[in-house]
Amino acid sequence: MQSTTLIVVLLALSAAGFYMGRRKAFQVSGNDIRTLNSLPSYYGYYTAMWCGIPALIVFSLWSMLDGRAIMAMATSSIADSGVSAQEMSLVYSEVLRFVSGSTIGEPQPHIVEAVARYRELQDTSNAALIVIVLSIAIAGTAFALGKIRRDQRVRNSVEAGVMVFLIACSTIAIFTTIGIVLSVLFESIRFFQKVSFTDFIFGLEWSPQTAIRSDQVGSTGAFGAIPLFAGTLLISFIAMVVAAPIGLMSAIYLAEYASARLRSYAKPLLEILAGIPTVVYGFFAALVVAPFFRNTGGLIGLDVSSESALAAGLVMGIMVIPFISSLSDDVITAVPQALRDGALGLGATQSETIRRVVIPAALPGIVGGMLLAVSRAIGETMIVVMAAGLSANLTANPLEAVTTVTVQIVTLLVGDQEFDSAKTLAAFALGLMLFLSTLVLNVIALHVVRKYREQYE
Amino acid sequence: MVTAEELAYGMERESVAKGPLEIFEGGGQVVTDRDDRQTVGEPFVDNPRVSARNVNVYYDEKHAIHDVSLDLGENEVLAMIGPSGCGKSTFLRCLNRMNDTVASCRVTGKINFDGEDINSPKIDVVPLRAQVGMVFQKPNPFPKSIYENIAFGARIHGLARHRYELDEIVEGSLQRAGLWDEVKDRLEQPGTGLSGGQQQRLCIARTIAVSPEVILMDEPCSALDPIATAKIEELIDELRKQFTIAIVTHSMQQAARVSQRTAYFHLGDLIEAGDTKTVFTTPRHRLTEDYITGRFG
Repeated sequence: MQSTTLIVVLLALSAAGFYMGRRKAFQVSGNDIRTLNSLPSYYGYYTAMWCGIPALIVFSLWSMLDGRAIMAMATSSIADSGVSAQEMSLVYSEVLRFVSGSTIGEPQPHIVEAVARYRELQDTSNAALIVIVLSIAIAGTAFALGKIRRDQRVRNSVEAGVMVFLIACSTIAIFTTIGIVLSVLFESIRFFQKVSFTDFIFGLEWSPQTAIRSDQVGSTGAFGAIPLFAGTLLISFIAMVVAAPIGLMSAIYLAEYASARLRSYAKPLLEILAGIPTVVYGFFAALVVAPFFRNTGGLIGLDVSSESALAAGLVMGIMVIPFISSLSDDVITAVPQALRDGALGLGATQSETIRRVVIPAALPGIVGGMLLAVSRAIGETMIVVMAAGLSANLTANPLEAVTTVTVQIVTLLVGDQEFDSAKTLAAFALGLMLFLSTLVLNVIALHVVRKYREQYE
Repeated sequence: MVTAEELAYGMERESVAKGPLEIFEGGGQVVTDRDDRQTVGEPFVDNPRVSARNVNVYYDEKHAIHDVSLDLGENEVLAMIGPSGCGKSTFLRCLNRMNDTVASCRVTGKINFDGEDINSPKIDVVPLRAQVGMVFQKPNPFPKSIYENIAFGARIHGLARHRYELDEIVEGSLQRAGLWDEVKDRLEQPGTGLSGGQQQRLCIARTIAVSPEVILMDEPCSALDPIATAKIEELIDELRKQFTIAIVTHSMQQAARVSQRTAYFHLGDLIEAGDTKTVFTTPRHRLTEDYITGRFG
């Protein structure tokens, strides 16, 4: 609460700095802004940046570090009395619990003392933070105002500041990705300490139940990932068999044959498919499509299980149609009319023009759309949870129930789980494998697309 | 038919260096007033390859071309000149029905190609476009190899049954377009990697590969530098021996250099048509004179 107020005050100070800087610029220019190096507002931004940014940096560093420093100081007497590091962390958490008041019961006297000291130090720290941050803000403003001259090149400084900000934003995105990958990686390493890597990669049996108590029977656990990846591939394959032709053909119709009016209605309608929540697709697959397949199969003497890869793959294919059709439609429309005219002018029919000129020219974009659809299909969970089942069959028969990597991750982590058993950690290993396989897929696709581009552009 | 006068003029042109308007000397007698939009001169020839009669073109409600009647004679180059937006490109695109691709465009009147009305429902537009080829303003090679660019037309029309026949068509077309020596070692490289002038000659080679009878050129040099332009103009002169050519151009010098007959369009009207020399030296319409003397344009 207090930090929110401080940030609001800082923003207000920066806004004030903006106006002061701009007014100062008007003053030094003698009311003729053409004599200034930059527009007056740049002087304003310059002052505002000097006011806000150093203060904010100090503020965030302080907030990050003060908790630990205060804790160390508050418990220094306990630490000096020769307590081991492990016990110290217990003391830390106990002190924190009492400070936030979330514990009932009488604390031990040395904890009480530490708590009191902690509260006292925290008050001092907060007061110091306010004083320091505000004085840095004011000092920054004064410094910037003092530097404002006619020939001061503030535009360059402001542009550089903006660039640093943009770099920081992209860095956050990159480091988040790296962080997620690393956390998955470390948990997977823990998993591979319990289950051997080759068993996981090449194992043909998936049965992740492990014994919780030592006297439990029959749950030794088998962590062979092949059935899961086979199931994922089977369902994604069925989905792409459904979606790729339908999506591409509808894109060609929309882009090349449909009238502008029809296109303006049909394209948004098609894109609505992408807006349907996958859980809705899921129960559609489980309650309508799968029973339909089972009954139809029964009529012609086929043994179709009530949860089948075919049902899940079909519905998933319908789900990814808009990804393919919408993106392909965009890239086909982007092919220059000059190319079509060239082919038509040579006496090519419309379909020859499309097949031999338009589609090859649009191919990189079409491949991109297909890959987006594939990665959607591989990562899709809800439909498969509901319609494909949980049994890890290693089969290529689309009429049987299969399970996928994502479904198993869900079932491994749903409910109360202990986070050090192989069963739970297996989810991380599966996630890592899934991530790696999508990555490889993307790299291959990028390579193919780039090769194609080099050839033709 | 090529008249004796035209032949003589052509020879005279050969001997004179390719200057701009200086090739024509002497003042004209202007007879028609600016407000009169009746076509003057000789829009018609004996035994025309293509003859357009009373052609009107509308884009939705906009009346883009008014009642144009014009002939295209055998083995001649007809230049269409006029200020921007005068309808010369639109008229050109009527001659192989490229305007079909523009949804809002409506064409009335009669356009005969070898005696048959090309707008009649009986006519299939695909063979028509194979016979009346087109070269566009901006070079538009397909994003394929040089070889495939030329082979495209031959493939879709089934002109070659064997690979060696296709090879012959590709080599022959490139040679006639004067591009063979420049690209013979890199036929597998993309056509889009050539320079602008080479790309345009590639497009011309692509057009002649399907053996058309008429070639329509829509400002083929407007995106090119003077050297590439000179090469294309030489090529047009060469192609005239085998093909009938209609060329839209913004450059009066180019019209004077490459064409035997010239048609001057103004705001959708065909103002004057006739022998190129006559049109440039003794224009009969005030508007034509204004345009070729550079009073507007």
